[in-house]
Amino acid sequence: MTTPRKTQRGSARQQVSRTVDPARYDDVRSRGVLLCVDNVSVSFDGFKALNNLSLLLEEGELRCLIGPNGAGKTTLQDVITGKTRPDSGSVFLVGDPRELTLLSEHEIARLGIGRKFQKPTVFAEHTVLENLELALAGGKGVFGSLWRALRGEQRERIDEVLRIIGLVEHASRPAGALSHGQKQWLEIGMLLAQDPRVLLIDEPVAGMTHQEMERTAELLDGLAGKHTVVVVEHDMDFVRSIARRVTVLHEGSVLAEGSMDQVQRDPRVVEVYLGESC
Amino acid sequence: MDTSILARFVRLHDRRGWTAFGACAVLLLLVLPLTLPDYLVPLLGKFLCFAIAAIAIDLIWGFTGILSLGHGVFFALGGYAIGMYLMLEIGTAGVYRSNLPDFMVFLDWKELPWFWRGFDNFGFAVLMALLVPGVIAFVFGYFAFRSRIRGVYFSIITQALTYAAMLLFFRNETGFGGNNGLTDFKHIYGYSLSDPATKTGLFVISGAALLLVYLGSRYLVCSKLGRVLRAVRDDEAKVRFMGYDPLRYKLFVWTLSAVLCGLAGALYVPQVGIINPGEMQPAASIEMAIWVAVGGRGTLFGAAAGALVVNGAKSVFTGLAPELWLYVLGATFVLIPVLAPRGIAAYGGVLAQLLRGRRAVADTPRPPEPDREAEESVVTEGSAEVRP
Repeated sequence: MTTPRKTQRGSARQQVSRTVDPARYDDVRSRGVLLCVDNVSVSFDGFKALNNLSLLLEEGELRCLIGPNGAGKTTLQDVITGKTRPDSGSVFLVGDPRELTLLSEHEIARLGIGRKFQKPTVFAEHTVLENLELALAGGKGVFGSLWRALRGEQRERIDEVLRIIGLVEHASRPAGALSHGQKQWLEIGMLLAQDPRVLLIDEPVAGMTHQEMERTAELLDGLAGKHTVVVVEHDMDFVRSIARRVTVLHEGSVLAEGSMDQVQRDPRVVEVYLGESC
Repeated sequence: MDTSILARFVRLHDRRGWTAFGACAVLLLLVLPLTLPDYLVPLLGKFLCFAIAAIAIDLIWGFTGILSLGHGVFFALGGYAIGMYLMLEIGTAGVYRSNLPDFMVFLDWKELPWFWRGFDNFGFAVLMALLVPGVIAFVFGYFAFRSRIRGVYFSIITQALTYAAMLLFFRNETGFGGNNGLTDFKHIYGYSLSDPATKTGLFVISGAALLLVYLGSRYLVCSKLGRVLRAVRDDEAKVRFMGYDPLRYKLFVWTLSAVLCGLAGALYVPQVGIINPGEMQPAASIEMAIWVAVGGRGTLFGAAAGALVVNGAKSVFTGLAPELWLYVLGATFVLIPVLAPRGIAAYGGVLAQLLRGRRAVADTPRPPEPDREAEESVVTEGSAEVRP
């Protein structure tokens, strides 16, 4: 069932085919690419939020997205997760013929793209355990959830996630009673339970203490390898501590890409961050 | 942990909960039918039907966060379906001694309209009492939820729905008796409706239906489906990004709620002896939401209790001082969110704890309740879903 979305849509939406031509990813597959964002543009009332942006994410990598306000970081995540439909361009998972920009949010989520919002969004009245149960991969249909109970291996998976995020003793507490940092971890845990191939994480350490930040860095580090992780973050120290590869966005396009040291030496990046007076 | 359906069913309540449920069952099915004076049986039976409707509204409002101010239309449609059967059951015993219902003779109709066919069959009428509200709710819900209409906007549309239906049913040409509706029933399934035994039988059936609807709803909200519904209520976008399609969940519970309301209406009509478009007045649907608000949203038994308490009070007040009732109702609506934001169900919990003593309180630490007050205040604005 396709549902129309109450989202911003460009008026000049180009005709996009429902499936992706396999030949298009022959060259990127060999490089281990998992998610391909190809020439995507989005405009809101004439403002170009994304401007012919292309991005390749490799299987299992940990990528940091940085950029000044309005660079298009959040819009890019919105496009990948189906919240916003682009005016043009294409997003696809290598090896999967479906064009992501035509699917709805829940369909994209089921394909294995998870998202964590900037504000911790956990279900406050559900317990920690129930939050993880809801996130668990599979069984998202109405009637299955009416009749089926949690299976043994699902319960084990939840216990495993509880250990990873360090909330075992909080399992039966309502998530609303957790501290800010614990909520962030629970949300990361929910993404783990969802077991996505690609994880989009928006500002995971905003408002965290130093210890919480370190713990979060460990968590994210542990995620990479098994999952492709994309972290959007403003805190440069944090980015330096986790990033292997950094992509700098500016005015809706990729400005620079490379290691943290490389991009920091890039005169264009310096200019964007410090202003033209430098 | 045993995960079979039966084992999960047994776990719906702890021992104390099942004892209370058993007590209610004995009261409804045995004690009251044997002891109630005849004149009170249809009155209380009517309240039981309201309690079923309240549970139906609680499913959609308390658990899913969708405030319907138009459930009166589903209640009335269920009632009309049974009313049509009861009309045809009159046969030639009507005023005009005709095969046709009296109002059709009065309108000078020569034969039964096509949509009345089949309603002389009791089973068909019962099926329609459930199916018609269900199908209408499904179609209405599909378009509303697909367009992602939420909160107060949805509530207003449901008011429009019931108002439009009322205008339609007021017309004589529509074929349901116009503003007089359907009345003057004689028999149901061969039993005389004026016989006290029939009335008691209907009371017992209503009581059994209430108990079953409660248990079924309790199973639903305790299943994963119930947890998804509450998640939809609290953060629909997040649910979507987790791979659920909220449309299907909302549509399911919305349709189910309408079917249960139709059932309530079908049980109501034989007991009160009349169904007319008055049941579809916008105010009638708002009153149904008040029962749930008074009883306590998201508790099921609270909703049922709210329906009984509000209607009990209504009967008493309209007897003592009819002109005061609307003031009492209005005051209740204003005061309940202030004094008891979680409804009278919350006081039930407090009472139970007092009876159990402090030791029991220490045994079961209640999780801290999230701040409900801000949310409750929107009851007066007519929406439950004005969340950030």
